[in-house]
Amino acid sequence: MKIFLWAECQKLRRLSLLLLTIFAVCGIAFMVFIGGKSTDYGPPYLEEAGWYMTMTQPWATLLVLPAVIALLGSYMICREAEDDTLKSLLLVPVSETRLTAAKMLLTFVFSILLYLLLFAITFLGEAILHIHALSTNMVLHFLKSYFLEGICVFLAVSPIIALVAYWKKSYWLALVLAEIYSFAGLFTSMSNTLRTFYPVSAALGIAGYYETTGLARIQSSLVLLACGGISVLILRKLKHGRDE
Amino acid sequence: MHDFVIETKHLTKIYGEQTVLEKVSLHVERGKIYGLLGRNGAGKTTLMKLLLGLASPTAGEIKIFQKPIKGHQKQLYPHIGAIIEAPGFYPNLTGTENLEIFARLRGLKDPLAVQEALHIVGLPYRDKKLFAKYSLGMKQRLGIANALLHNPKLLILDEPTNGLDPVGIAELRDFLKDLSVKQGKTILISSHILSEISLLADDIGILHRGVLLEEGSLKELEEKNQKQTTGGNTLEDYFRKITGGKGIA
Repeated sequence: MKIFLWAECQKLRRLSLLLLTIFAVCGIAFMVFIGGKSTDYGPPYLEEAGWYMTMTQPWATLLVLPAVIALLGSYMICREAEDDTLKSLLLVPVSETRLTAAKMLLTFVFSILLYLLLFAITFLGEAILHIHALSTNMVLHFLKSYFLEGICVFLAVSPIIALVAYWKKSYWLALVLAEIYSFAGLFTSMSNTLRTFYPVSAALGIAGYYETTGLARIQSSLVLLACGGISVLILRKLKHGRDE
Repeated sequence: MHDFVIETKHLTKIYGEQTVLEKVSLHVERGKIYGLLGRNGAGKTTLMKLLLGLASPTAGEIKIFQKPIKGHQKQLYPHIGAIIEAPGFYPNLTGTENLEIFARLRGLKDPLAVQEALHIVGLPYRDKKLFAKYSLGMKQRLGIANALLHNPKLLILDEPTNGLDPVGIAELRDFLKDLSVKQGKTILISSHILSEISLLADDIGILHRGVLLEEGSLKELEEKNQKQTTGGNTLEDYFRKITGGKGIA
């Protein structure tokens, strides 16, 4: 598996899609920052310590990052068929299951890294604005929250990555589907029941953005684990390289 | 007693209602160059895919190194180098980076393997040019380098001269002959260019509309042609006769 992961990292060199993901993270952080400067409803929100870190997390999850993570994951899986490299890999021989597992594992790591990058940007913003108002506990709480969000969002979008690969469709479809899927989270968040069971809002609950009960957290965790399980089942059926 | 590295028996492949290969019995002897000749769409690529286990036959048997390919891929692939259709590589990487990935996945220990393979096909090592910017000929050369990377005993090359310039074709021909004569490698090469095959192959198989019409040494086929008095005496004339067509380049 180590060699597979190394190979997948090599394949990402000079990839413009990676720059796009970083741009997306910086973009959403910038948009929330601009929104926080608004004085339409009184003093700017940004004056409140922690507001920037608190608000960037849900907006990133509801608008941008699931789509970007789904795009990256499905690109990594679909590119072997698109670049016509799969038959060369199969002749090595390489196990399709292990190859796909390495790609999913790397997407998982990227999901966490993207959220940690978002955390770093928002923390930097908070530090510049009001360093004295930030406590270690507060910063660690947000670090944990963003980290958990990275894990949970990956699990939430994993069925989309798997389905797009299974359907042998373009990876851009993953971006569109994940965008609709994550945006719907905005509406499910309004209902206590729905937000527990809808994967995108469940991710926010587990990460600690919402006040939830222990039971709701367990239920949300089970939903996300089920998402991961469904993806595994779909990906195990992938047989791109061989004609029947 | 023949020592066949590749042997098929009544190999048939049907896609939907179309029979792509029909009862093909192919015999490739150890250490020889076997030229599979056929027009575009004759079924050459499908046959090679079946030989490599990249497609499943509808009927018939395939033996590579006396073993059925199905279920023995793990054992057999390390001894086979292949190019099927246009070679696919990662466009955002250089030729060297692409080969390094395949070398690591193959578990090659020799740090010079990539450099040597690139040297053989005349591509620069550690060049900065990305695969996306390669010409068709360069892509083909990289595909050949990848097929040679692990020093396989058997090479299965599907139209490897596609996109190569005349000098490149002659170099590849000399190189393949060297591999066969000096290193005893067995080579199955397909082409739709008769002159290319007749200059290179020890044995020739003529595939037409999925049927292997003839199989034998170049000499045998030429003798057969001379016995049939109508038409010309060249291998091209013979090809025309048996395929009932206009012949090929």
